[in-house]
Amino acid sequence: MYPIFHYRELLRNLVLKDLKIKYRDSAIGFLWSLVNPLLLILVYSFVFSHILKVGIANFSFFLLIGILPWNFFAQSLMMSTGSILDNGGLIRKVALPMEIFPVATVLFNLAQFGLALLVFLPMTIFFFNVSIGWVTLWFFPLLLLHLFFTVGLCFLISTATVFYRDVRHFMEILLMLLFWLTPIIYDVKTIPESLRTVIYLNPQSFFILSYQDILYRQTAPDWQRLAILMGLAGAALGVGYRVTGSFKARFAEEV
Amino acid sequence: MQGTIAVQRLSKAFTIRYNKSNSLKSKFVGIFHKRYREEVETFWALRDIDFVIEPGEAFGIVGRNGSGKSTLLRVIAGIYPPTMGVVRLPQGSRIGAMIELGVGFHPELTGRENIFLGASIHGLKRKEIEALYPAIVDFSELGHFMDTAIKNYSSGMHARLGFALAINLNPTLFIIDEVLAVGDEGFQKKCLDAMHQFKVQGQTIIFVSHDPRMVASVCDRVCVLEHGLQKFVGESAAAIDEYHKLLR
Repeated sequence: MYPIFHYRELLRNLVLKDLKIKYRDSAIGFLWSLVNPLLLILVYSFVFSHILKVGIANFSFFLLIGILPWNFFAQSLMMSTGSILDNGGLIRKVALPMEIFPVATVLFNLAQFGLALLVFLPMTIFFFNVSIGWVTLWFFPLLLLHLFFTVGLCFLISTATVFYRDVRHFMEILLMLLFWLTPIIYDVKTIPESLRTVIYLNPQSFFILSYQDILYRQTAPDWQRLAILMGLAGAALGVGYRVTGSFKARFAEEV
Repeated sequence: MQGTIAVQRLSKAFTIRYNKSNSLKSKFVGIFHKRYREEVETFWALRDIDFVIEPGEAFGIVGRNGSGKSTLLRVIAGIYPPTMGVVRLPQGSRIGAMIELGVGFHPELTGRENIFLGASIHGLKRKEIEALYPAIVDFSELGHFMDTAIKNYSSGMHARLGFALAINLNPTLFIIDEVLAVGDEGFQKKCLDAMHQFKVQGQTIIFVSHDPRMVASVCDRVCVLEHGLQKFVGESAAAIDEYHKLLR
């Protein structure tokens, strides 16, 4: 991991570059990235509270807690298919640590996630009388684990896409499927016991359930689940970093 | 000797794939249909390249299009791994590779933002870049345009910024590939002066060009490449003669 630390200024500049380019010359700039989750929450809230009644209290808040971390995860994975490929111009001309690019992608999405939280969280506290307590602090270690897990997967995906361009299309479909297999718009307790196994086979469920515990149910996260998350994050990061490391010598010739 | 760059029996092969396609489908179809099968051929872009560059030397590489100049530069700069042989660089050398001017510059960003981005690509810290910034702006003579997006720059201005950045990074090894073609005569002279200055300080330059006169004026020794083979290594004047013979 040392090369990433050594090139931290490049990492910072890559993330800033993406943020600047995304919002420069647009009138309401960053607010655009809030429109998507906002619209999703409004539509789903209406459908699931008034048409198909799911009976979850403060449903909009429940949805927000699931949607924002999910968007961070899904958009990081989707964007990471281009992390290395789209930087081919740079990779063919300068020797630099390849691991920087997927990490920059994830940090860019983390910044968007953070900004969205800064806008939405105060709003929900105001509208839904959500109380903030000590238990809320669990959010930060959980976010760190989620970050590590996502970076690990992005190492794998960005490397795989260099050799097989199919990965991009495959990810689109996989992420759509995963969205419905993650308890974001439904409560895991409302589904039959026999089907829950499917939900628990999806690592993303553990992250979303923990976010819900901390922010929605206001309880400390389950220890067992936290241990699983630590294992997952460590494994993803370790495997991803090694895989990128062992293929990176060929990147300049393949991109 | 310390500071010496040694290229030892270096060869580089590329795999050329006919029907190349980075998709799973075509690999799968290829199992059944011969017509869609990938055919692989090894192409030796460089073979048995062997020379030494002393510190403070300006070393030229000349050759026709496709003779392997850029590949050789990329292997030396650590972008491509060598297939055989080794490239030994001095400990802790920083390579200011200008395989292309203004690598990593983004058209939407301003001159200032691009300097910070471009310098960090070579692993510099923010403090170091801040310290170099005035010298870079000064050298480029683009002080008034630092807050302008570089998509509005002319190609000459773009080249100036790129060269100013590269030479001020103070690399121990400075690689220049065919970059002085752009820019007016005044700026070209300034670049040549800067490179002479650079040599005097004991830093090494590798210079690649189509223009033999330019090479002769900058370089002490020159390597002539032809079809990936090293035809000649030696004094600039003799090397240029050799190169002219090849062209005939």
